[in-house]
Amino acid sequence: MNPQVLVDGLIAGAMYGLGAIGVTLTYSILRFANFAHSELLTFGAYAALALSSALGVLSAGLLAPIGPFSFGWSLPLAAIAAMALTGLLALAVDAVLFGRLRVRRSSIIVMVMASFGAALTLRSLLEFVFTSKPAYFTRELQIALPLGGGMRATPDQLLALAVAVLLVVAVHLLLTRTAIGRSMRAVSENQALAGVVGVDVRKVIRVVWLLGAALACVAGIMAGLLVQLRPYMGFDLLLPLFAAAILGGIGSVPGAMLAGLIVGLAEAGTVQLIGAEWRTAVAFVILVLVLLLRPQGLLGRPQA
Amino acid sequence: MSTVAPPPALATQALVAGYERDLPIVRGVDFQVAAGELVVILGPNGAGKSTLVKAIAGLVPIHSGHAFLAGADITRSPVQEKVRHGLAFVPQTENIFATLSIQENLQLAADILPRRVQAERIAEVCDLFPDLAARRSARAGNLSGGQRQMLAVARALIVKPSVLILDEPSAGLSPKIVGEVFARLKDINAAGITIVLVEQNVKAALAIAHRAVILVEGELRHEGPAATLAEDPIVAQLYLGAAPAGQEEGR
Ligand SMILES: Nc1ncnc2c1ncn2[C@@H]1O[C@H](COP(=O)(O)OP(=O)(O)OP(=O)(O)O)[C@@H](O)[C@H]1O
Ligand SMILES: [Mg+2]
Repeated sequence: MNPQVLVDGLIAGAMYGLGAIGVTLTYSILRFANFAHSELLTFGAYAALALSSALGVLSAGLLAPIGPFSFGWSLPLAAIAAMALTGLLALAVDAVLFGRLRVRRSSIIVMVMASFGAALTLRSLLEFVFTSKPAYFTRELQIALPLGGGMRATPDQLLALAVAVLLVVAVHLLLTRTAIGRSMRAVSENQALAGVVGVDVRKVIRVVWLLGAALACVAGIMAGLLVQLRPYMGFDLLLPLFAAAILGGIGSVPGAMLAGLIVGLAEAGTVQLIGAEWRTAVAFVILVLVLLLRPQGLLGRPQA
Repeated sequence: MSTVAPPPALATQALVAGYERDLPIVRGVDFQVAAGELVVILGPNGAGKSTLVKAIAGLVPIHSGHAFLAGADITRSPVQEKVRHGLAFVPQTENIFATLSIQENLQLAADILPRRVQAERIAEVCDLFPDLAARRSARAGNLSGGQRQMLAVARALIVKPSVLILDEPSAGLSPKIVGEVFARLKDINAAGITIVLVEQNVKAALAIAHRAVILVEGELRHEGPAATLAEDPIVAQLYLGAAPAGQEEGR
C-alpha cells in the first residue's frame, strides 16, 4: 500500500474530527442529532470566503501568501469573523426553530426533522447566493513537501492538521477544567438537576451552539482550503461526521477526533485498495458496525 | 396576624401544580415551615409529595397559588435562581452527576459562589463528610447508594442554604444506612438549617422530625407534632389505608 494513504487519511480525518466535535457536543447537550450541522460548516466556509475577498479588496497586501502557505492574512482574519458569524447563525436558528420546539417539549424525532428542514433551507440559500459553481480561497499552487518514507504533504495540509490537534486539546481542556465546561457536562448528563444546582441551562445551550458552530466553521474553512467550496460540501461530509461522532462515543471530544482520524484513514485505504467509488460507503459501514457492536462508541459511556 | 412574627422559612399558598396544564396533581396546598423546623411530608405512593417539592424547587409548573421563601415570592423565579435565594433541593432519584467526580459535583455547586469562598466552602463540607473527602477524585457513579445520598446532601449544603428540601433520601438504603443519613440530617437541622423531608419511612422520619404533614391525593389532609402523630391511628388509616401500622418499615 502506498504510504501516502496515511497522510491523505490523517488530513481528511482531522477535518472530520473537528466537524464531529461540534456534532458530538450538540448531540450530547441538546439531545438531538442536528443534521443542519453540516450546513453550519458550509456557511462558515462561504462566510470566510466572502470576508476574505472583501479584505483583499480593501488591501491587496492582505492577499499576499504568508510564508509557505497558499493564502494571505486576509484568510485567518476572515476566519475569526466567520466563526463569530456562524455562531450567530446557529443562535438565530435556535431562536426561531429549535428553542421554540424545546419550550413545547417536542420529541427528539421532531427536533431531528426540524434540523433536516433547517439544513435544506440553509443549503438552498447558500446555493442561491453563491451558485453551485466551485469556489476557492486561493489560486496559488502549492508544492508538496517530502515528509520521508515516500510521503508528501503541502504546508496548508500540515497547518490544517496542527490547527485540528490544537483545537481538540483546547476544547477538551475547556470541558474538563473550566466552570462552563463543568456546567456543559452537567447539563449533558441531567438537565433538571443542573438547574437545581444553579446552572443556567439556557446560557449553557447558547455556549454549546456558539462553540459547535465555530468548530464547524473551522472545519468548513479547512475543507474549502484543502479541496474547494461548494454549497454541498457540508452535506457530503454529513455521513463521515456522524460516523465519527458516534464511533468516538457521543459526548467524547477526544473520541470524536480519534474516530475522525479512523474514518479518514479507512476512507483513504479503501480508495487505494478497492476503488474511489467505494469511498462514501466507508463511513456508512463504520456507522452500522458501531451501532451494532458498540453503540456507546470507543470512548463513550454506556447509556444509563 | 401578628405584626412582629418573622415570615415562615418556607410557605405555599393555595398551590396548584402539575405536569400538564389541565391536570393538577398538587391541588391547593397551604403549607408553612418555620425557621429551624424539621418537617416531614408523609403520604401514600402517588399522593403528589414529589410533585409538591419539585414545584417549590421550580421543576414542575405551578398553575396557580404562590410559594414563598422567607417571605419573598419565589413562585415565578426560575429553578437556577432558587438555589441563589437559599433554597436547596435534593431530588428523589438521579440526584448526583454520576459522570462527574465527587470533587466536580461539589465544585459545580460552588460555582455560583464568589470565587474566593469556593475552596473554603468545599473544604468545610468535606469536613462534615470524611468518607467523601477521602476519595474526591472518584467518579460519583461508582459510589454506593448511601454514599450517593451523602454526596447529594453535601452538594446541597455547599451554598449554605436556609432551607433544605430532600425527597426520600432513604429510598433503597439499608436500615443501618438510613439511620446514618437521618442522624446527619438531624445534625444539619440542629446547626440551623430548616429541613423539609419527604419520606415513606414513617417511623424513622417521625423520630427526627418536629412536625409532620400528610398529603393524600394532592391535598394536605392532616398535620401535627411528630411525637403525637407517631401514635395517631389517623396516620395508619390515612397513610396506609386499611393495612396495619408498621408495614412500611424496612422499605
Ligand atoms: N413526570 C411526570 N409526568 C407526568 N405525571 C407524573 C410525572 N411524575 C409523576 N406524575 C404523576 O403525578 C402523580 C403524583 O406523583 P408523585 O411522584 O408526586 O407522587 P409521590 O407522592 O412522590 O409518590 P412516591 O411516594 O411513589 O414517590 C402520580 O399520579 C404520577 O403518575
Ligand atoms: Mg416521590
